[in-house]
Amino acid sequence: MHDPDFHRDFCRARLIGAVTLGLCLAVAGHARAEEKTDFKVAWSIYAGWMPWGYAADNGIVQKWADKYGIAIEVTQFNDYVESMNQFTAGGYDAVTLTNMDGLSIPAAGGVDTTAVIVGDFSAGNDAVILKDGTALTDIAGRPVNLVEFSVSHYLLARALDSVGLSERDVSIVNTADPDMVGAFQTPDVTAMVTWNPMASEIAALPGATKVFDSAQIPGEIIDLMVANTEVLQDNPDFGKALAGIWYETTALMVADTPEGAAARAAMGAASGTDGAGYEAQLAATRLFDKPAEAVAFVNSPDLATTMDHVRGFLFDKGLLGPTAPSADAVGIELPSGQVLGDGANVKLRFTDDWMQMAADGAL
Amino acid sequence: MSAISVENVWKEYGDQVVLENLSLQIADRAFVALVGPSGCGKTTFLRMILGQERPTRGRILLDGQPLPPEPGPDRGVVYQRYSVFPHLTVGGNVMLGPELRGARLTGRRFGAARRRLADEARAMIAAVGLAGSEDKYPAQLSGGMQQRLALAQALMMRPRVLLLDEPFGALDPGIRADIHQLMKRLWNEVPMTAVMVTHDLREAFTLATRVIALERLRDRPEERERYGARITRDISIWPPRVAGQRTSFDPPEGAEPPL
Amino acid sequence: MRWINRRPRRGAEMLLLCLPFAALVAAYLIGSAIRLDANPADKLLPSPAQLWAGIQRIALMPDPRTGEWLLWSDTAASLMRLAAGLGIATVIALLLGMAVGLLPYLRASLGAFVAFLSMVPPLALLPILFITLGLGEAAKICLIVIGVAPIMTRDLALRVHEIPREMIVKAETLSASTWLIALRVVLPQVLPRLLTSLRLQLGPAFLFLIAAEAISADAGLGYRIFLVRRYLAMDVIFPYVAWITLLAVLADIAIDRLRSRVFPWSDLERGA
Repeated sequence: MHDPDFHRDFCRARLIGAVTLGLCLAVAGHARAEEKTDFKVAWSIYAGWMPWGYAADNGIVQKWADKYGIAIEVTQFNDYVESMNQFTAGGYDAVTLTNMDGLSIPAAGGVDTTAVIVGDFSAGNDAVILKDGTALTDIAGRPVNLVEFSVSHYLLARALDSVGLSERDVSIVNTADPDMVGAFQTPDVTAMVTWNPMASEIAALPGATKVFDSAQIPGEIIDLMVANTEVLQDNPDFGKALAGIWYETTALMVADTPEGAAARAAMGAASGTDGAGYEAQLAATRLFDKPAEAVAFVNSPDLATTMDHVRGFLFDKGLLGPTAPSADAVGIELPSGQVLGDGANVKLRFTDDWMQMAADGAL
Repeated sequence: MSAISVENVWKEYGDQVVLENLSLQIADRAFVALVGPSGCGKTTFLRMILGQERPTRGRILLDGQPLPPEPGPDRGVVYQRYSVFPHLTVGGNVMLGPELRGARLTGRRFGAARRRLADEARAMIAAVGLAGSEDKYPAQLSGGMQQRLALAQALMMRPRVLLLDEPFGALDPGIRADIHQLMKRLWNEVPMTAVMVTHDLREAFTLATRVIALERLRDRPEERERYGARITRDISIWPPRVAGQRTSFDPPEGAEPPL
Repeated sequence: MRWINRRPRRGAEMLLLCLPFAALVAAYLIGSAIRLDANPADKLLPSPAQLWAGIQRIALMPDPRTGEWLLWSDTAASLMRLAAGLGIATVIALLLGMAVGLLPYLRASLGAFVAFLSMVPPLALLPILFITLGLGEAAKICLIVIGVAPIMTRDLALRVHEIPREMIVKAETLSASTWLIALRVVLPQVLPRLLTSLRLQLGPAFLFLIAAEAISADAGLGYRIFLVRRYLAMDVIFPYVAWITLLAVLADIAIDRLRSRVFPWSDLERGA
């Protein structure tokens, strides 16, 4: 039997269902520009970000959240890209990422992003490694395995640039980072760009030579803790808590005390290596454990030069969006108020506000 | 010649005795019907003649020679189901046997040999009343037609013994009567000995020259394992039926064989 | 009247068929509109216009960086791997499945082994494959083969084993050797099933293909999705997902048509 009422009801139910589903899809990134007390922070395993996990596990996050009367939930992501996508989609209020990924992922995705903490920069943690080659120029004509569009890709571009080569002189093979060490030991892989701990492990393999590393472009690969600008403006206490957490934890981890050694060992274990392995990674990392040094770093004119390199690279790769007419498409604000690119579309902001407060002891 | 002698045959599965000390002489060109209640081992007996199963003790001879231990072209079979191949047409099913026998590598005949075989198959298909259905698949045939096809397929090999395992049990009575006519004619014309398992006594007495009943004499539960079935009746039909002296395979003077 | 006895009319049937698709599209459009209203540069749920622009960029014009027509070069690379993997798996399944199903000696020695192999989670083997076979095509094709061949083999062996014993005995009475039984009785009867089995494995094969391409590649459908995932280019990912789905559906239909055309009796049997 055909029952018109049934069909009308059925269609109405479907429509309501569709609207509900649509709202669910939308709600993730909606309705966050307001004061609130619960914050979500995502981080992923990397030498310079281990303090966040340590702070969460050892009550430091809790202590600073309590101080400002807020709640901070810290989540570790096994997949770095996923953590950034979650932040961009609005699922998290803050995330650990590099200056380059901050520009190409949340900022180019229209999410106004502020770097609350400049935690460190890579000073050797990222490297170009060749098999049967002694100089960077030997890379010409080889396939290069790396995580495409990552800081490794950027490092390769800068490295090639430094010896007058370009990406056209090599071919890129996108390779997942967990498989780098195994991949390097297969015969068809002869050149690789990756980061620690894989880089040091690969460089130690027979026949492997490190021909370029991030120590040769100091200060260009920067590890940040970024937060959603709107959330931060409406809730400055969240930024203060993040700064408090960071500097208390880093002060502990650089201390030449048994507590400091224990903290480093714990972070090393959490990152899948040991105390010594972790200290080796830290040696290739310029960690900003003193807020004043971080303030000086973001205020130096070199930051503008670095970000100009980075946005040029991203634009060249089409990562500022398919419709971006030039590298100026996404504006980058520096602590001085100077803006690189489109002042009407500032989406990535460097600031010394919270680090300065830490330096002044005002937290 | 195709006389079967069964000598002191036992069949046991583990401790279970199914058939107990059967001895039997089946004359050339006889048509034996095996009857008996379900589970009395008549199908097992048929399978032993077929070579699908082997006696536990005793032996079965075909014209004085022990049976080979596996089925072969000298013994044709028609089952109640699954006797024909679903992926071949009527023509393909009938031609399959000679093709397999003639081409040991490819199982297919080509050219003149194939045309000759096709003519032979057409004649056989007509003989079982399926003329015009050569290009149909078995699934497009009724149950009765499928059994006619199975007979044609088996007879193409000119077996010495034709074994029938309740071949017409699933057919409607009217169709069964028609196919009984065909069966009688084929048995009469083709030089072979037939052994048929049936639970239909009427069918047994309609077709056979001899009806043999198998039965467990001791059938109490505690005896069941230890005692198998024996021959309890052995009835020769009166007046005796004798297969035609002149068969389809004997060419009439100056003519091609019809099959 | 009971619900089990109510049937939609012809027109209503079409409507009901379209409803879930329409609901999905409507949900997407609503979600996309809400998100874009809040943040015009949102990438998670691009608008239809943005999606169309994405499709144009990947399918209708060469990539400005490489000069390649991305969707088509990716499709060619992926389909090549898929065809090689499924082709090899099908041949293995056919030979091994027939042998295991037909020969008691092989069934005794290999039957449990194949069942065991088909339980190995193929994705867990991926690192081993990449280390032993390198990052090239061999490892990707091998993953597909390892992923689908044991299951197809098992399925086929079961089908061979399911062929009624009567038919095999009948073939013996028609003077067939083991070889001829395999060639003329078993093979033609299991080929339609092999094609159906192949259809069922298309989904897993795509899964393994994409997983392998995500780890290391320079072209391919999975490669592109995992590459652009990095900057949340949903205007590329959605069309790619839709395209992969379409390819799988078309392959499914094509294989079934092929079966029906080449083995007309297999449809009759099903109806009988």
